[in-house]
Amino acid sequence: MNVIEINNLTKNYGKERGIIDVSFNVEEKEIFGFIGPNGAGKSTTLRTLLALIYPTSGSAKIFGKDCIKYGPEIKKEIGYLPSEVFYYDKMKVIDLLKYSASFYKKDCSKRISELADAMDLNLNKKIDDLSFGNKKKVGIVQGLLHEPKLIILDEPTSGLDPLMQQKFFELLQEENKKGATILFSSHILGEVQRMCNRVAIIKEGRIIQLEKISALQENNYKKIRVQTTVKLDENYFNIDGVSNLVVSQNMISFLFKGNINTIMKKISEIEIINVWVEEPDLEEIFLHFYEKGA
Amino acid sequence: MFLHELKAYRKSTITWTLTLVGLIILFLSMFPAISQEAEAFKKLMEGFPEEIRLALGLSVENIGSILGFYSYVFLYISLFGAIQAMILGVSILSKEVREKTADFLLTKPVTRTQIVTSKLLAAFTSLLITNVFYLGAATMMASLVETKEYSTKVLLLLSLTLFFLQLFFLAMGILISLAVPKIKSVLSISLGTVFAFFIIGALVSTTGDEALRYLTPFKYFDFAYIMQNSSYESSFMMVAIAFIVIAITASYLIYSKRDIHAV
Repeated sequence: MNVIEINNLTKNYGKERGIIDVSFNVEEKEIFGFIGPNGAGKSTTLRTLLALIYPTSGSAKIFGKDCIKYGPEIKKEIGYLPSEVFYYDKMKVIDLLKYSASFYKKDCSKRISELADAMDLNLNKKIDDLSFGNKKKVGIVQGLLHEPKLIILDEPTSGLDPLMQQKFFELLQEENKKGATILFSSHILGEVQRMCNRVAIIKEGRIIQLEKISALQENNYKKIRVQTTVKLDENYFNIDGVSNLVVSQNMISFLFKGNINTIMKKISEIEIINVWVEEPDLEEIFLHFYEKGA
Repeated sequence: MFLHELKAYRKSTITWTLTLVGLIILFLSMFPAISQEAEAFKKLMEGFPEEIRLALGLSVENIGSILGFYSYVFLYISLFGAIQAMILGVSILSKEVREKTADFLLTKPVTRTQIVTSKLLAAFTSLLITNVFYLGAATMMASLVETKEYSTKVLLLLSLTLFFLQLFFLAMGILISLAVPKIKSVLSISLGTVFAFFIIGALVSTTGDEALRYLTPFKYFDFAYIMQNSSYESSFMMVAIAFIVIAITASYLIYSKRDIHAV
């Protein structure tokens, strides 16, 4: 079953582009990643799903119901975390969370304390006094306290330290196991790869790729540099999948695409001093998809 | 949501209520002094050019009676009241955008209509509270300072115009806050609008042209007419009600169609 169905969704801001012809589905119990550089239209898409903005054309359905027409009804089962969290500054954290819970007509107090414990959040502070990261935590608790069936997160990890990110992803995975569907946007490929089953890539308002994460990994480039003890034959690494090969003295660098085991075996057969395996950054990946699309 | 909103306005409601109550106590406690010196005061007034007297809302004959005096000072009370209502109107919806909390509220399972209704009711209640206290203070002070007989009904009618005026400016404030895309300062817009209408009101007084009175809500309630007839002028009342209804309906429509942008 599809929890989210987006059909040819288009949104213009006056003359400016928002998103163009965006279509994709998110299945039940899936963790779906939505990645793209800043300004590509991630937030626009998510905000349309939440009926914060109205589409210029096209439509989207959540739980099989139109997200604009049945907005208030379907939002009962949605938890949302905006990319930047702003709350009523003068309120205490606990008051804000209680206020938030009051919209859902069920008792969430137990859940609030559980989540606050897990995220190590002080409930008695004023929101005004919190750091950005702590505000984000309030946002996370606020988004999860009513045990939503669908969790929508807009760049959830920005501002959280790595330890908290880890904790947060564990929380999400727990929710996912309990049956929640998760859609989250990000511009960090690593976290999407770690978390998601499938991913949609958006660039300049259009979806340019929709893939299973496993497929994305197969297509993934690695940036590899090897420092050897002795000067190697220039063509030692000249195998299938290697490009941009540069050999200078005993430093070799290249881009590799394909099964990572092949190249690791190749490296293990020679005497090396050091090796660097790096993720190419998102721009490089996009470049790659862009070339493929053209 | 209604309670949350009401709480948010608690401080401003208390401040404004105290201000208005304080003002009326101050003004009316001046009354015994002025009524004793009424003759001298009238002479002084006659020294002013007629236009100025009209603009200030002074009518020489009445100044010695409590109602006459009251209707004079009430002009300033209503100015303050209008400012309170206008600020409230402009801020209730725009503050969600300015403080960036709109995302929070609008991703909750509520319709936009419900949001506007809760906020309107909260603002209405806040004004109601102010008026109840004001009315109490005004009637009490009047009975304390005036020794002669006077009509409590007229006093109440005069005082109630404050409430109508406030509703008018509340509606106008909401409409303006939705029509103007980005409001940087609630205070300057509110003060600007209220003073503009107030000055128009003063100018209209000097011309004495009946039709021009429709231009400004400050002139919808003619105090001399209320004192003579113990009632409001129905045509102005209709205009005021029509304006309030239209402004609020329009606000509902605009707000439910509006895009809430990310910050």
